[in-house]
This record gives sequence, C-alpha cells and structure tokens, in this order.
Amino acid sequence: MRNNIRWRTAAKIAWRESRATPAKFLFVALAVAVGVGSLTGVRGFSRAFRQMLLKEARTLMAGDLSLRVFELPTRDQQEVLDSLEQRGVRRTWITETVSMMGSDHVSDPLLVSVKAVEPSLYPFYGSVKLEPAGPLPERLTPDRVAVSEDLLVRLQVSVGDRVKLGGAEFRIAAVVTAEPDRMAGSLNVGPRILLSRAALERTELLRPGSRFAQRYLFKLPPGGIPVGAVREELKNALPHGLLTDFRETHPLITRGLNRATMFLSLVSLIALIVGALGVATAIHSHLEQKMDAIAVMKSIGARSAQIIRIYLTQSLLLAALGGLGGLALGVLVQLAFPLLIARFFPLPAEVRWDWVSGLEGLAAATLTTLLFTLPPLLSIRRIRPALLLRREMVEVRPRQWRDLRAAGAAGLAILLVIGAMATWLAAGMLSTRRIDAVKVGAWFAGGLLVSLLALSAIAWLLLWALRAALRQPYWRPPPTLRHGIANLYRPGNHAQAALVALGVGVMFTLTIYLVQHSLLAQISASAPPGMPNVFLINISERERAGMVELLRSTPGVEGKPDVAASVAARLVTIDGEPFDRRPADGPVRRFRSPRSITWAAQQPPQTEIVAGAWWTRSDPASPQVSVSEEASKLLRVHPGSLLEWSASGRGVKARVAAIHKTEAIRPGSNVEFILSPGALDGLPVLYVGGVRVRAKDVTALQREAYRRFPSVTVINVADVLDRVQEVVDQIAMVVRFISAFAILAGVIILASSVAGTRFRRIREVIILKALGATRRRLVAIFSVEFLILGIVAGLMGSALATGFSNLLLQRLLDAPGRFQPAPNLIAILLTALIANVAGWLASFRILGQKPIEALREERG
Amino acid sequence: MIAVSGLTKSIQTPTHRVDILRGIDFHVPKGQFVAIRGPSGSGKSTLLGLLAGLDTPTSGKILLDGEDISGLDEDRLAVVRGRKVGFVFQSYQLIPTLTAEENVLLPAELAGETAGAGERARALLDGVGLLDRRDHYPVQLSGGEQQRVALARAFMLRPPILMADEPTGNLDSANGRHVLELLLALNAQEKTTLVLVTHSAELAAHAGRRITLQDGVIAGEE
Repeated sequence: MRNNIRWRTAAKIAWRESRATPAKFLFVALAVAVGVGSLTGVRGFSRAFRQMLLKEARTLMAGDLSLRVFELPTRDQQEVLDSLEQRGVRRTWITETVSMMGSDHVSDPLLVSVKAVEPSLYPFYGSVKLEPAGPLPERLTPDRVAVSEDLLVRLQVSVGDRVKLGGAEFRIAAVVTAEPDRMAGSLNVGPRILLSRAALERTELLRPGSRFAQRYLFKLPPGGIPVGAVREELKNALPHGLLTDFRETHPLITRGLNRATMFLSLVSLIALIVGALGVATAIHSHLEQKMDAIAVMKSIGARSAQIIRIYLTQSLLLAALGGLGGLALGVLVQLAFPLLIARFFPLPAEVRWDWVSGLEGLAAATLTTLLFTLPPLLSIRRIRPALLLRREMVEVRPRQWRDLRAAGAAGLAILLVIGAMATWLAAGMLSTRRIDAVKVGAWFAGGLLVSLLALSAIAWLLLWALRAALRQPYWRPPPTLRHGIANLYRPGNHAQAALVALGVGVMFTLTIYLVQHSLLAQISASAPPGMPNVFLINISERERAGMVELLRSTPGVEGKPDVAASVAARLVTIDGEPFDRRPADGPVRRFRSPRSITWAAQQPPQTEIVAGAWWTRSDPASPQVSVSEEASKLLRVHPGSLLEWSASGRGVKARVAAIHKTEAIRPGSNVEFILSPGALDGLPVLYVGGVRVRAKDVTALQREAYRRFPSVTVINVADVLDRVQEVVDQIAMVVRFISAFAILAGVIILASSVAGTRFRRIREVIILKALGATRRRLVAIFSVEFLILGIVAGLMGSALATGFSNLLLQRLLDAPGRFQPAPNLIAILLTALIANVAGWLASFRILGQKPIEALREERG
Repeated sequence: MIAVSGLTKSIQTPTHRVDILRGIDFHVPKGQFVAIRGPSGSGKSTLLGLLAGLDTPTSGKILLDGEDISGLDEDRLAVVRGRKVGFVFQSYQLIPTLTAEENVLLPAELAGETAGAGERARALLDGVGLLDRRDHYPVQLSGGEQQRVALARAFMLRPPILMADEPTGNLDSANGRHVLELLLALNAQEKTTLVLVTHSAELAAHAGRRITLQDGVIAGEE
C-alpha cells in the first residue's frame, strides 16, 4: 500500500467536496479576496502615489541629485563624473553668484543673484516658465538673458531693453515666471537673472577670489543605478561636496513623504493582518463543518495524512480563487482611487495597475491562507471516528503534549511569517529612512502576539465571570438574557475565538483611524494654510512700522505679516579658540562671513529641541544660545560650548543651552543662532518679514515696496510654495482616502467573522425551534449574545488601539499621541452594531426556515 | 476472525467517569453472522466501534484477522479499517458534499486502488438498485436510499468483516426489510464475517449467533 494518496486524487476529492456547496465555498473565497484586495489595492496605490510625489520632489530640485562643490573637481574626481556619465547618469553644471547690474534708466547699479545654466540640459525635471513663452535654449543666447519681475521694476526696464552685468551688455529676452529649483539655490539675495554659461563667460565675473557657488545636477537613467549608489560614489569621490537628493528637496516634502510612506506601509501591513484574520476565521469555520465528513472518511480507512492532503488542496484552491478575486478587487481599488481623488487634485496618468503588488498580494494570500489553515488542519489528527457513534457524549481527552507542541509550532510559524512579511514590507517602503526593517517586523509580530494573548486572556476571564454570574443564586435574569449569556460559554460556541478575532479587527481598524487623525493634524500644523510666500529682508528699525503698515493695506495679503528681528554678527571664537584658525572648508566656510543671529524668550513654534533644554529664565549677564542642528554639526558644538561673536564692533559671548531643529517656513526660521533675551540689546537690528500674498498680487506689492523702501529686498517664493503646499495637501488627501478604504475593509472583515458563526448556529436554532421558541425569542437571545460580543470586543480592541497607535506615532512617525475618547466610544458602539447586523444578516434565513428544512440543510 | 479478551472502555466526561464496557470476551470465526443485542446504554455501539477500530479500548485485546488492533495509533487503525472492515452506521453517514457514486468510490480512492473502481462502484450501486440515482447528493435521497448507498460503500473494498450499527434503526419497516435483504445478499455474495448491533428481533433472527449485552458485560448468548 502506498504511503499517501496521489495529489491528483486529493485534488479530485477536494474539488468534488467544494463543488457541492458553491455558496459556502465562495463565502470563504470572498474573505480571502477582501484581504488580498485591500493589500494589493493599498500597496499598489501607495506605490503609484509615492512615484508621483517623488516626481514632484524631483521637479523642485530640477534633477535627481544635486552636488554643491566648493572647488573645481580634480582629475580623479572628473574621472568619476565621466564614468557615471558613461553609465547613463547625465549631469549639468550650474553656477550662482552675486553681482551688480545696471541700466541706462537708473543711476545706481543693483545687487542681483546670477544663475548660469546650460539651457540645452537644464532643467532635468519641470520647466522654466518664461514670459513671453519660448524654449530656454532659444531665449538664453550668449547676449540675451531672462530676469525676474522685480528686476524690471528696480532697474526701470522692460523686455527688450539693455542691461549691464560685469563686463558685458545683454538684452532682456524674457521674464522668468517660474523656476523649478528656485528654493534649491544658495545665493538668493536680490532680483534674479538667468543666463547661459556662454553669457556668463562674457561677464568675466568668475575671477579667482570672487564669491560664487557651483553645483552639479544629475539625472539618473530610469531603472538604472539607484540614487543611493550614485550618492555613495559621489560622496567617496568628492567628500567635501554637499549632496542632496530628490528625497530631501524640501523639509516639508521630505517629512510629509516619510510620514505618508510610513503610514501607507503601516496600512498595508494592517490590511495584510486583517485580511489574514478574515481568511483564518473563514477557513476555520469551513473546516469545522467538515468534522463529520472527516470522521466518516476516517471510518472508511482514510489516514490523517490523506485527509490533510485533501483539505490542504482545498485550501490552496480557496487561496488561489480568493487571491485572483482579490487581485481583481485590487485593480478596481487602484483604478477607483484616482477617480475618487481626481476631483481634488490632478493625478498623472502613471497610476495604473501595478503587477508587482499584484503578485505580492497573490503570494501573501497563498501564504497566509496556508499558514492559518495549519492549526485546524493539524487538529484533523485529533478527530476520532468514534464521534459518529457517540456524538452526545463529549469525551474530554487531556490534550496531548504532541498536540500542544504542534499548535505551538504552528503559532510560532504564523508569527514568524507575519514578522517576515512586516520586515519585507517595511524594507520595501522605508528606504528613505533607513530604519531597521527587521526591528519593525519584530515589533509588529511581537505586538500582535501580545495583543492576541491579552485578548484571549480577557475573553477567557469574561466568559468565566459570566458563567460565575449566572451560577450564583442572588441574581436571576430574565430567560432571554440568561440564554443569551449562557450561549457565550456553551461548549462549541467559540466565543473566545470570535472575541479575539473581533477584538484584533477593531484594534487594527481603530489604530488606522487614530494614527491618521494625529498624522493629519501634524501635517497641517507644519504647513499651515497661511504659510508666508513672500519674504522681505533688510528692513531697518526705522522702516519697520511703515512696512507693516504697507503690508496691512496692500490688497491680496492674507493673514497677519510675521516679522523677525536679526543682528548681523560674525563668529569669532568657539570655546576660546579663534574660529579663523580652524580649517574651514566646504559648507563651514559660510560661518566666516557675518550671519544673522537673533533672540527669543520662548521656544519658537514648530521648533524641536534635539539636545539640551530651552532657557526658562534668562539672565542678561550670562547669555545663552540655541544652535540649529545643522550648524551644531558643522561647527562641532554641543550644549555647554561657549561661542563668541563680533557685531558692530562689540563682542557677544553666549553658552550653548540647546540644539534645535525646525521645519517651519517663517521669517527667521532659518536663523542658526537664537540667543536669550537681552544678549543683543543695543545692537543695530534688521528685520525680516514674511507674509502670505495671493500670487497675482505679488508684483504690485513688489513695486510698492520698492517705491517706498528701496533698500528692502523682496523675495517671492509664491510659485514654489504653492507647489509645496499642493504636495502636502495631496499627501493629506491620500492618507485620508487610504484610511477610509482600510477602515471599510476592516468593517467588512469584522462582519464576515461574525457571519462565519452562522453555520454553528443552525443546530441550535433547530433545537430551540423544535422546543417552541418563536422567531422573536430567538432574535432576542442572539441579540444579547452578539451585543455582549460586540461591546466587549470593541472595548478591548479600542483599548489596545489607543496603546498601539500611541506607540506607532511616537516610535515611527515622530508625532505626539494622545487619548481620543470620541473615536474610542464610537468604535465600541459601531462594533456592537456591526456584530448585531452581521450576525442577523447571516442568520436571517435559518430563522425563517422550518426545523425540518434546516435539518436537511445541515445534512446537506 | 475476531477475538476479544478482557475488553473494557471507560470515558471521562467533564463531571464524572462512565464505565461503558466492563470486561468482554468472545470469539467470532470466519464467515459467521453475529447479532449483538441489549437495552439502550448497554454498550452495544461502543463495542462495535471498538471492534471496527473506530475507537480505542481502555484495556483488553482485540484481534482482527490475527492482528492485534488494540494498541494501534489512529493512522494504523485507519489502514486496518480500510482493508479489513466495512462499516454501516445507523444514521448512514454519507459525505454530504459527494454524490452517491463518489461516496461509494471514496474508500477505493483513499486506498489508492482506483483500477476498475468505477465499474465496481456502479455494479454495487446497481446491486442496491440505485444506479440511476448515482449523481444525486445524499440530501436528494431518502433515508432508505442513503442507507443502501452506505451499504454499497461498505462493500466497496471487499472487506473480510462487515460491521453494522442498527442499520435499519432509522428506517420504516418496508425500507428496513429491503436494506436487510440487501445486506444478507451482499454478505452471502462477498462471503464476509458479519457483526451487527440491533434492537430488531426480526433482524437478530437471521443471525447465526446472538450475544446479549447488559450494563457493559455479556449477559447471555444463544
């Protein structure tokens, strides 16, 4: 005799088994499909969305990678650049400097920012918008330049007029209305002029000793070398260069992108778990109904291994069917999302069906289905054919060590695989943050284990307490209530399993909501709607009141103007050591020139202290200072270091109290040194103003400001900030939609796990009906049962969700967590409602049947 | 063919211990037809389940065709059941999701003996008069018809021993008689040793030997 039946025979029997009851089978497959669908849908859409965001981020940099250099590359370095070029990495060269520009219409020349590009290559992403419109290479010839609007105002010239820059004369070919990498430049002081490299040569501005900044922009070949690899190679070759890649274009985008990615991977992980949960409950109740059939097979000679093979085949069939259904669902989701959100923002055409996430989903479906089938399949070995002879007498056999070991091993395998999947999802999504993906996986699996154990323990306690409550002699509830409660701990009810499944579902669904809620609050706080988009620098004490008045009266100004004070000061010593003796190459060199320093009593809004502490009381006799994180790294200072500046001939000493970082975009937020109040008293102060202006009113403001305060420079970043705001809004929108979807999927799966108990109820309904219970009585009994189930699961789930979401927010998303009573309460009530409605929808048909029909159905 | 000595079976329920069989000894030679009788709760069905290897005894020995099955694990028992014993239940126990023919075919498929199995299954269904209903599911068959399918299934692998637990207990007298006739005819045709548990005097009258159980021990034999 052969050891086992052939797979073909197993498949044949499995197929016959499932064919006879297509409805039940489809129900289970549907549970798998919802799980897979939410996973692939969420994953695929997040992937597409991320691509879209990254594309916008590239636009804000005009390339994939930017390398700022402080001296010309050596021959070795040039070789590295050329070798990259041979591998498809294109590059272009941008030079920025500051110079004076004059025209025939004004007597004084004007300080301008000069930017020289290679018009045939620049920009790699996005486009420079010109007025009159036209391609950049045609407009920027060796004797023609493009300028910003404010330059026309200040030099009293218009397009076509002549201007003088350095040693050459140029004709103004166009006005620059939008420049993709406007924020990426380093020398943004005055009106701007954009010209070709050939034109720059003519000016003879680039002489040894003159101040200029050079950077390379790189564009990577699609699907070629990853940005990280190129970055590494450049870093090794040009260690003093400043590298930035498109993932860190703008702090708001970087942070938004990180958070969104983190959140989306979190949601897909949760979708995976909740989906697996649905699969597990469905398969479990499916196999449970097969107990008799299994006992019969055993009585006619089937061995456990054979039966396991048959049902394994059947589960695989289910997984495949559900998986394919889920893929279809995932496609629908991916197609539907863009349609849904198209009303709010335009999505590029690339959001299309993503094969990778489809295949991932299919693999995940098969794996989780198999995994969760394992414990019930293993329990097949414990089914004895004697069950058929002696059904009424439940024999309690002590669980054998072997069974416990098998169950433990299966549980461990499930946890390991979930941990591995979490790791894999995290590794795929978190590349920007380089968080230890294995740690994320371990946390996730560990968290799940703890929640499951906690839920099982609470469920067990509750059932025990209910039983004890009914057994004591003092309280006799009405029969319906008593019956409903007794139903929960009746042998074979599996209330504990249902409670755990419901509880886990509630926990995850509510976690998504809570995390989303806090995340959105955080996102909108870091990019508030009134964020300034026009900056005014070099406002003197004398001009300040007049400028504020002007801003108040100008049409198109939204909100209150924000003004920050600063003092120009040069760093002279660090811990007593003269700063100019320190080797200062690369970015450190900027601290040699006078820079803005300021003062503040309170910690500025949206500023985070990363080391040390903000002063609580300040003593003007011993000033303190908070240093920006970046400056502290460049200067190698830490809390306790002593810094000394020279400002207007006076020395200012301050001890470092704190290191801060900020993402806020406001006047003064880029100031690297904030001193305690009183430290800078008596020094000449310059003010920086920031204000939100409607894009179309910016030019008018510029003209008026120039007319009344000619020494004040107006910097207009409206177009760039509009773009940043747009991206942040998109992130928020997508976070909202994805969570809504995940919550919906969670609700469906919760409902199906309650509905899965339907088949267990049939026998009970028959007996109660045969004994004369009316339909109303049955409804009342089951309602009590469902209500208790729902409320308890809701309570446990929301308690766990509050803990879990706070942990996630603090550990992974750097956002504060807090207790939110309203969503918790709503979750509990909704769970009770869902448990009841789903329970009713599932049991409705049985209730209306005559006992004999139900009996027949049970047999069939 | 069947030898039983010192057989006991006790089970532990959540509250107390029940001694169902309290020491049974007997021997059934090859080809004999034995009827086991006794009042409800006397342990008849339990004894039959033990003999068929559906359950394991608490103590004692059962030899089937010379092989001691009392100490076998579940999987070895399954092999013994498949090879040596055909079983007919009081409540038919057809697999609800398989058709009549598939139910009859199942033992052969599980044993891997598929050559000619289809023909034999159809011949057996023909023998019990249900060839034209072979594509029907159990729910579409009457009780008597289901029991006839169960009979065909029990004979599928030509087991040397057939055991039946109240095979007519759920049927009306006409259907019961029909099933009995088929059982006797198949038994004669296949030359099996037959052990059945019954309440019915009519059924017992056909047996060559009658054992009466009372309170878990053999109370009499004729």
